[in-house]
Amino acid sequence: MPKVKVNGDELKVDLTEPEVKWIKNTLERDPSITELGMFDVMWSEHCSYKSSRPKLKLFEDAEKNYDYVLAGPGQDAGVIDIGEGYALAFRIESHNHPSAIEPYHGAATGIGGIIRDVLCMGVRPIALLDPLRFGPLKNNPHSQWLFKYVVKGIADYGNCTGIPTIGGEVEFDKSFEGNCLVNVACIGLGSIEDFRHAPSRASNPGDYIILMGGSTGRDGIHGVTFASRTLTDMSEADRPAVQIGDPFTKKMIIEATIEAIKTGYVRGLKDLGGGGISCALSELTGDGGTGAKIKMRKIFTREPGMTSYEIMLSESQERMAFIVKPEGLEKILEIFRKFEMAHAVIGRTDDSKVLKIYDSDNLVVSLPSIALSESPIIDRDEKRPGILDGLISQKTPEPSSNLEELIYKLIASENICSKEWIYRQYDHEVGVRSVVKCGTGDSGVLRIIGTNKFLASSVGTNSKHCFLEPYEGAKGGLVEVCGNVIANGARPKAMVNCCNFGNPEVPESFWYFANSVRGMADFCKELRIPVVGGNVSFYNEDEVSKTAVKPAPVIMIVGIIDGVENIITLPFKNAGNDVLIIGETNNELGGSEYHSVMYDIEGGIPPKVDEKKIKARWDFIFELYEKIMIKANHDVNKGGFIISIAEMCFKNNLGADLDLNGYNNKNLRDDKLLFSESVGRFIIETDPKDFEEIKVLAEKYNVTAKKLGVLIKKPEINIKGLKSQDIKLDIDKMKDLYDSTIPNLMDI
Amino acid sequence: MTIKIAVVQFPGANCDLDAIHVLNNVIGVETSLVWHNHFKEAEFDGVILPGGFSFGDYLRAGIIAAHSPALDEARIMLKDGRPILGICNGFQILTEAEFLPGALLQNDSLKFVCKWINIRVENNNTPFTRKMKNGDVLDIPIAHGEGRYFTDNLKELEENQQIVFKYSDENGKYTQKANPNGSMENIAGICNLERNCMGLMPHPERASEAILSPKCTTHGKLFFDSMVEFIKRRS
Repeated sequence: MPKVKVNGDELKVDLTEPEVKWIKNTLERDPSITELGMFDVMWSEHCSYKSSRPKLKLFEDAEKNYDYVLAGPGQDAGVIDIGEGYALAFRIESHNHPSAIEPYHGAATGIGGIIRDVLCMGVRPIALLDPLRFGPLKNNPHSQWLFKYVVKGIADYGNCTGIPTIGGEVEFDKSFEGNCLVNVACIGLGSIEDFRHAPSRASNPGDYIILMGGSTGRDGIHGVTFASRTLTDMSEADRPAVQIGDPFTKKMIIEATIEAIKTGYVRGLKDLGGGGISCALSELTGDGGTGAKIKMRKIFTREPGMTSYEIMLSESQERMAFIVKPEGLEKILEIFRKFEMAHAVIGRTDDSKVLKIYDSDNLVVSLPSIALSESPIIDRDEKRPGILDGLISQKTPEPSSNLEELIYKLIASENICSKEWIYRQYDHEVGVRSVVKCGTGDSGVLRIIGTNKFLASSVGTNSKHCFLEPYEGAKGGLVEVCGNVIANGARPKAMVNCCNFGNPEVPESFWYFANSVRGMADFCKELRIPVVGGNVSFYNEDEVSKTAVKPAPVIMIVGIIDGVENIITLPFKNAGNDVLIIGETNNELGGSEYHSVMYDIEGGIPPKVDEKKIKARWDFIFELYEKIMIKANHDVNKGGFIISIAEMCFKNNLGADLDLNGYNNKNLRDDKLLFSESVGRFIIETDPKDFEEIKVLAEKYNVTAKKLGVLIKKPEINIKGLKSQDIKLDIDKMKDLYDSTIPNLMDI
Repeated sequence: MTIKIAVVQFPGANCDLDAIHVLNNVIGVETSLVWHNHFKEAEFDGVILPGGFSFGDYLRAGIIAAHSPALDEARIMLKDGRPILGICNGFQILTEAEFLPGALLQNDSLKFVCKWINIRVENNNTPFTRKMKNGDVLDIPIAHGEGRYFTDNLKELEENQQIVFKYSDENGKYTQKANPNGSMENIAGICNLERNCMGLMPHPERASEAILSPKCTTHGKLFFDSMVEFIKRRS
C-alpha cells in the first residue's frame, strides 16, 4: 500500500502515486486528510470501476436503443417501462467480502444496500433474489457455517422489511471455499410518475439537503477500499469494517421515503452506500451540476468525538439523502417525524459547483463537485490461462457403475438437489403478489396488482462452464436465466449483471472478466435484450491458496407475462400427455455436474451457444404458448434432461415412459447423451392431439422438438432406446434423495 | 349501514397493506390504514392487527407494540364486544398485551418457516369463523419464526373451547408432521372467553384469492366474510 505525504503527515492510502499527484495538481494544493480519504474511497475499484469501465462500454446503450428503457447503466438501478403507467426498477450487487468475514451481517447489509438502490429510484421494493456461491458443504464445517448464516442473514433482514425473497440460485464449488459469493438483487415497482419525481441528482441551487435514517457511527469506515483488496488472514482483523444492519429502521425508511416522494417536494434522492455521505453528496451535486455547503456537525452521530474524516467516510447503514424544494421542507420533516425517523437538515445546494464541508467554522473539504467522479481508467492486460487447453481436452471416463446409480447419485448432489431448506426460511409470500412460488417454477412470478400483467425474474450463471470458456459460458448463463423466465411464460425484457471475478491486476483473471462481458454483450445485442445495469466485484480470491474463484458473471433477467392464462408452471399435469424435448444434446460434458460428482474432474468440452438456434427455439415456444399447447415447461440445466424430467414428476407424483430412439443424432455414448449440459433445451408437456401441429411448427422454425414419451400415473421413469441398457427409476426414491441432501448436512 | 374496519399500522408491520388490499378490493368493505399513534376506537366497528415485525420484534416479538396507545383503544373494543383479529405478529401482540392467554415461542426448528399448510376448524362459533364448519380443513400459508404456541393452562383453554384452529394434515388429522412449529396440541389460533378477540399464526389475507393459492382455494376470505357478517348482525 503506497504512503503519501500530505501537509507534512505520512498517510497510508490505496491510491496510486500518479493518482495522488493528479489530485494535488488539480487542487493546486495538498488535499486535507478528509479529502484524501474521500478520493481514496471514491477512486477505489469498487466505487469507480476503473479497471472494468473500458470493457463495460461493450454493452450497447440501453437508453438510446430501447424505447422502454427509462434508466440504464450508471444509475442506482435500471428502470423499464412495462406499460399501463408502471415502471420496474431492478439491480443486482455483490456483498462478497463482508459476507466471507461475517456471513450474517455481511449478507444482511447486502440486502439493505440493494433495497436502498431500488428505493432511491422512487419505487417500492417488492422482491428480492439471491444468487449464492459457497464451498461444498460435505465434511466442511466452514462452508456450512457460511451457508447457514448467509441464508439466515438474508432471511432475517428480508423478512423483517416485508419484501419477499422470490428466487435465487446456489452453486457449491471448491473455488468458493475461502471467498464465498453473496449477490443480492432487488426489484421495485411504482408509477412512472414517481420514478420521474426523484432522480439521483441535485440540479437546483437553493434546495435543502436532508439526511434521514440511521445515525452515523464508526462502523464500515473504509469498507469500500476493503472490498477492493484480496482477502487475507488479516481480514479477520478487518471485522469492524463490516457494517451492522437494522432491518426495522430500513422498513421505516422505505415507508417514510415513499410517503415523502408522493408529496412531490422531493427533487433528488440518494442512498448512502459505499463511501458514505461523501460519495452521495459528490454524486448528487456532480451529476446535477450544482455545488453545496454542508454543516457536518449537523449530522447525527452514534458516538461523540468522531472526526470529520470518520463522519464523512462512515458507511453506517440505513441512511438516505434527500434534496427537497424549499417550500416543501416543513411537509417532508413532518413525515419523518411521524415515522420517528432521525433526520437533520445538513445544508443547501448552490450554484458554486463546489462541494464545501464545514466542521463548525473550519472548511475541511472544498472540492469541485465533479472531481471525485473523474476517476482514472486503467487498461488491464488479458491473458488466457495456459491450463485451459489441457482441461478442455480431458476425456470422460467410462461410466463407473450402472446408469441408474449414476442418476440417483447426481440428483442428490449439492448443486442439483432441492433448495427448499433455503427458501422455506425466506418469506416469499408477503406482499400478496407471489403467483409462482419458490419450488414450483424456474423463476419467481409476481402479479402486478391493478393490471393483468405479471413479472417473472430469475438469477444465475454456470461458473464451471465459464471457468473453461468464459465467452461461451457467460452466454450460456444468459440462455439459462432467460430460459427460466421463458419456461414460466415470460418474454425477457431486460438484464442486469453482477460480475464476480478475481484480481484484475492478474491478466488471467482479467481475461475471464473481459471475455464474460464480451459474451454477454454479443448475446444481448443479438437477442435484443437491453443491459440496464451492472455491478463488478473483483479481488475474489483466496490469498492462502492463491486461487481466484471460478468466474461468475451472474445474470438477472426480468420478464413480463401478459395475462394470467399465459403463466406456465414446472410440474407435469396429466398422465397420458406427451413429453417433448426442445433442442439437441451435444457432446458437452465440460464443467458438468456429472464430471464433477462422479470423477472429480473440471474439464471437458463446455457448451457452446448458437444465438440463431436459441432465438428460433424461443420463437417456437412462444408460438406454442399462443396456441395454448404447453401444459408444463422446465428448462434443462445442471445434470442433463433426465434430472429435469424427474423434477417435473415430483409435485403430482407422475412418471414417464420414455424412448430415446431417434433423439441421439450425434450418436453419443449413453452417459454423454444423458448428462451433457448443452444449453437452451426445454422439457415440455403437451397434449397428444397437438403433436402433429407441433411437428409442423418445429419444421417451420427449424427446431428440434422430439417426443420422448408419455406421462404415466405410476411414479417411475422408464427409459428405452439407450445403447447399453434400459433404465427404470423410482420417483419416490429420487424425490427422497433430492429433498434430503441439504437437511442431512445442515440440520444436525 | 356502512361498516368501518381499521388495520393498525405499527412501525415495522409489513402485512398491513396486504390486509388493506384484501378487505378493500376482495371483500369490498371500507377499511382504513391507521398509524398506531393515531388510532381511535370510536371510529371503527372492528380492528385488525396485521402481521410483520412491529418495532423490529426487538426485545421480544410483539412486546413493544403491546404497549402502544393503540392497544389501550383496542381494549375498549375488547370490552364492548367489537371484533379484534390478530394475524401472526398481531397474534403475538395480543398475547403480549394479555388480550389472549399463552405465548408464542421460537419455532422448534429454530428457523423461520414460510409455507402453505392446513388448519382444521375447532370452533366455528366466533366472529371470525362463523362461515366455516367445525372440522373444515383450510389451505393457508404461514410465515413466522416465533409461532410455537405455549400455555400453562391448556385444560381451561380446551374446556372453554378457546382453541379455534389446529394444524392438521390435508385430511384433518393432527399429526406431528403437520405441526410446522412445535405448537402445543398443534394449536394455530385461539380466542378469548368472550370470543370477540382471536389471534392466529397463519395468514388469511394471503389465502383470499385463488391466484395466490397452490390449490386455487380462497379459504382466507372466510375469515373476513365472517367478521363483516358478525359486525352487520351486531348492529
